[in-house]
Amino acid sequence: MQQTDYIIELAGHKKEDLSVCLGCRICASVCTVNDLEINANPQELLMNLFLGLNVDKDDPLVRFCTNCYRCTSACPWQIRIPDIVRGLRENLSTGSVFEHAIIESINIWGRMYEPYVFLRASLFVLKDGWARHMFRMMEYVINIVRSIHVPHKVKRI
Amino acid sequence: MDYSYYPGCSLKGSASSLDRDVRKIFNLLGHNLLEIPDWNCCGALEYGGKELTNLSRENIRKIEDGPCEIIAPCPACYKNLKDANKDFNFKTNFTVLHPLELFDKELLASLKVKHDLKGMLFTPYYGCVLLRPEETAIKNKYIMEEIITFFSGEIDGEKVRDKCCGASRLFASKMVTEKLSKLLLEQSKGIIVVFCPMCHMAMKMFSKKRKVIYLTDLLLYVMGEKKFL
Repeated sequence: MQQTDYIIELAGHKKEDLSVCLGCRICASVCTVNDLEINANPQELLMNLFLGLNVDKDDPLVRFCTNCYRCTSACPWQIRIPDIVRGLRENLSTGSVFEHAIIESINIWGRMYEPYVFLRASLFVLKDGWARHMFRMMEYVINIVRSIHVPHKVKRI
Repeated sequence: MDYSYYPGCSLKGSASSLDRDVRKIFNLLGHNLLEIPDWNCCGALEYGGKELTNLSRENIRKIEDGPCEIIAPCPACYKNLKDANKDFNFKTNFTVLHPLELFDKELLASLKVKHDLKGMLFTPYYGCVLLRPEETAIKNKYIMEEIITFFSGEIDGEKVRDKCCGASRLFASKMVTEKLSKLLLEQSKGIIVVFCPMCHMAMKMFSKKRKVIYLTDLLLYVMGEKKFL
């Protein structure tokens, strides 16, 4: 299956849903990624997908979209661009070690088991300069320790 | 009144204090929260696959004979459950509610106030998912402001209330979250009040000395269940 069809299907859209895009670029004018002084244009991404062109890992939205839905909220057709970006990330396997650990945890136990996620991603967390934030993170570490339990095994769907 | 309760993964771990406080407030209001048996993760904002709405659909199915009103305090879980409830036809009519949707002036007036918020300045911060997309957003988009001013607190941060702190990229691209959170902190004043466990983590991480609290902390302080904010 072509990347476009696969992603649009993942995001729960039909290709025709994207054809309603008017090209007004209001999505670009409100996009959070532009607050980072990075040029992002959701409308261009939609257009590329609609034309069947491949979007790569370096697209600013694939790298930085924060799922804030400001674009959806501003869009005259309420197109859920963040859902499409999530589909793209899944398709291009762009997730960080941390995100992979979360998905692994859900696949094994049916829930996110935080002790596993943090152990699995500890090297990534240390490398990414998290050590200097450890003091501010203590509240969350304490919460995890206080609520520690054996992973719950959810019955498979 | 009895409600079905979907805590979600964060509230069972890094945000367990929020879980404890939500249960306490509901208990004080005379409501029962019945945790959905054997619930699975809703996929939050990490899962990109087709399974996303299926996960929440199964969670709703697991309620069976339980109450039809589902309380989900985590905004990402709330959105996913609401999407699933909209996309599938269940035999029973379920309603997905965020705790904020239960508050109105009548309920606030019925609370026993031990401390008021006079002279205190707050920035109510909703983040993204509670307010967007429109079809899954909470009904009253100014409820936190109404709660704070009802107890005589002062409000700031109109500019930042619905901006993004970048929390969903916290463990994928720290630079994004750091820049966005610092931008919000610069543009706001006073204590930051949130209801999202991820926004709490992102704002607290980069806030240095600014206080970041859950709205539940504020309510329990007002009711005299907490001594300090």
